[in-house]
Amino acid sequence: MTPELGYAATVVAFGLALYGSIASAVAGRTGRTALVQSSERAAVGVWILVTGCMLLLVYAFLTFDFSVRYVAINTNRGTPFYYRITALWGALEGSIILWTWMLALYTLIVVVQYRRRHPEFYPWVLSAMMGIAAFFLLVMTIPAPPFERLTPVPPDGRGLNPLLQDSGMITHPVALYLGFTGFTVPFAFAIAALATGRIGDEWITITRRWTVIAWYFLALGLLIGGWWSYHVLGWGGYWAWDPVENAAVLPWLTGTALLHSVMIQERRRMLKIWNLTLVILTFSLTIFGTFLTRSGIIGSVHAFSQGSIGAFFLGFLALVLLTSFSLLAWRMDRLKAQGELDSIFSRESVFLLNNVFLVAAAFTVFFGTIFPLLSEAVRGVKVSVGAPFFNLVNIPLFLGLLILMGVGPLIAWRRASADNLRRNFLMPTAVGVAAAVIARALGIANSLVLLCIAAVVFVTGTIVLDFLRAVRARRRSGDGWAAATLGLLRRQNRRYGGFVVHLGILVVALGVAGSNAWSLHTETTLGRGESVELGGYRVRFDGLRASEESNHFKVTGTFTVSNGVGSRDVLYPAKKYYAQEQNPIAYVDYRLGLIEDVYLVLGDFARDGSQATIKLQVNRMVSWLWLGGLVLTLGTGLAILPDRKKAA
Amino acid sequence: MSHPPLTRLAAAALLVVMAALPALAAAPVNEDTVREIGTELRCVVCQNLSVADSPSETANQMRAIIRERLAAGETPEQVKAYFVEKYGLWILLSPPKQGFNLLVWIVPFVGLGLGLVLVAFTVRRWSRRPAAVPAGIPEMDAATRDRIHREMADIDRS
Repeated sequence: MTPELGYAATVVAFGLALYGSIASAVAGRTGRTALVQSSERAAVGVWILVTGCMLLLVYAFLTFDFSVRYVAINTNRGTPFYYRITALWGALEGSIILWTWMLALYTLIVVVQYRRRHPEFYPWVLSAMMGIAAFFLLVMTIPAPPFERLTPVPPDGRGLNPLLQDSGMITHPVALYLGFTGFTVPFAFAIAALATGRIGDEWITITRRWTVIAWYFLALGLLIGGWWSYHVLGWGGYWAWDPVENAAVLPWLTGTALLHSVMIQERRRMLKIWNLTLVILTFSLTIFGTFLTRSGIIGSVHAFSQGSIGAFFLGFLALVLLTSFSLLAWRMDRLKAQGELDSIFSRESVFLLNNVFLVAAAFTVFFGTIFPLLSEAVRGVKVSVGAPFFNLVNIPLFLGLLILMGVGPLIAWRRASADNLRRNFLMPTAVGVAAAVIARALGIANSLVLLCIAAVVFVTGTIVLDFLRAVRARRRSGDGWAAATLGLLRRQNRRYGGFVVHLGILVVALGVAGSNAWSLHTETTLGRGESVELGGYRVRFDGLRASEESNHFKVTGTFTVSNGVGSRDVLYPAKKYYAQEQNPIAYVDYRLGLIEDVYLVLGDFARDGSQATIKLQVNRMVSWLWLGGLVLTLGTGLAILPDRKKAA
Repeated sequence: MSHPPLTRLAAAALLVVMAALPALAAAPVNEDTVREIGTELRCVVCQNLSVADSPSETANQMRAIIRERLAAGETPEQVKAYFVEKYGLWILLSPPKQGFNLLVWIVPFVGLGLGLVLVAFTVRRWSRRPAAVPAGIPEMDAATRDRIHREMADIDRS
């Protein structure tokens, strides 16, 4: 029953979304409000139906309904309860449902929020969002149906990919998809702006918070993905420049560029075409990311022809790009703005540079990611483009961006006077250079790390200086320290929210630099009772034990870790053997610390437990990435607080 | 993440290689060199991890091969060439900077260069034009204009 019910709901939802999209477009052209209301109802209907689909699939997972193919592939009777729920988005079909559901949810929020506002935009926004939802529902109907029936019904399922049986996989896709789908809202408003010809700043003002929220969730999703990679995959890193990761970071980079360049338009009425281009690119990249990761094309260009999903996504991507840029070209005459720049030393030009670097980084990642496909298609030779390439090209760009991060917010609009430059940058530059010199004296020889330290200290200096000055100014009007600080954060929440986000990025940058420069590794085989030393830690192998778990067989090693100070700890890295997997899965054990993590992976071992090979790492400053995520969260929260005027 | 057939084939090839390797006398090999070579090679059964990073048994065996070949007196280039011969260019985590593959190394920089040129061009064009005065608004004298700019800049700064 479940497969048929789910399939029916999908088809009806598709019909509703398509109808809603067309009806509200007609309403946009003719101004017939009855049609708008009708497509609003369709939007609510789509949300209810997709929610129903999701619940139905969860129900199928919880009741082990193996008549649903997707359930049979992604779960078995041993899969623990929570993972049976999250198995929902464990593979392609289910993650498309999650995507569609979030899109439907965002549409619902847009309906609730803007029903009585922006009457010119609203029908077009609705039309764009429901059109996109219709596409995803079409994918759910034809190339990737989650409710496909499986006959005969097998007695047990295959089981969820063991690597996905982790808490990170509960939150990572949710955050990432909230980010991906979140960019639909600014995109839809941009389309509405183009369709109505109201290409002023209205769409930017309305969508600023939406862009920030989507950007934040994408960042959060990337960080959680890094955390998952770090503590699950057992390689001791968090970012591998894997095509899947690249696909997610692409819209984040262009989204970051967008967040900055809209400020120029708000302030100076320039870059209208560029901002529309960026929002179109960012949204298209979210679709491209799904195409890249879900079509199988990454494995080989030949995988493309095996399923139709790739063709669907590529077709949709072409449609999106064609429609958007045609609209843009159509409105070009209204978009041409008189650019006006008084000086190269101005915030405008720093922001332009910021955009060039971010888009260049995005382009590099894009080109590097698709290059293997290009090589295979053109020459028939498979090549890999991995970390060595991406690091070489991107590190200079990111360092440049760090420095701009300090300059941009404080340099004056239009024309920075020598006084402005001296006042804001002399001290921070001095402190940054001094920090690098001190670090060098302390024995840090890696020039990239030194540059990173200098940049981070410089940027922090600019932020602290600016904030202190502003607090002092408020104190002069009679506030106490606390009142002045809070008042400032509240009154200028957008500015200081941005600063806090910048600080978060700085913390992440230090984590990346530190972990790459200072982490230690060793690999060795120990007999029972023997120990190995690394970075002041002594790790002793105490033995192995085997156990039968609910859905796998597990061999656990016991290792005593002591450091010079005399504190002792026991780590239990393990190997898990799943019936559905050829190779065992390493289960890492670790102790996290602010400065360094002890990270232990169990390799080969003697069956009698007399010997074990281990990969031991002392990873430095990795925790700063997660801390940076926390700071990002605070900053984003501050930046999207409601305006004071409206709140009052 | 099931392994595509190619990686499985690669793994099988690896076993053959392992069997064919002569038993080599253990000579001290610099582990940093092993790691360095490992970071440039792809672990054949992994998603996208280097031989140096991957915790998989296959990567472990590949590291052993690197160690043994170095011990036998091969240079890092020879070791890498050996893997390329066995698995194709695909085994290298970044393609060699020659021929068609040169593209991937050059195009990003060309893109960045074009972007910078575009910005420089835009900046020049915008700077050259005289500051436009919106039509319909009475002319404003230079002093007033400057004062407004100054005060706006002050507002920005606070």
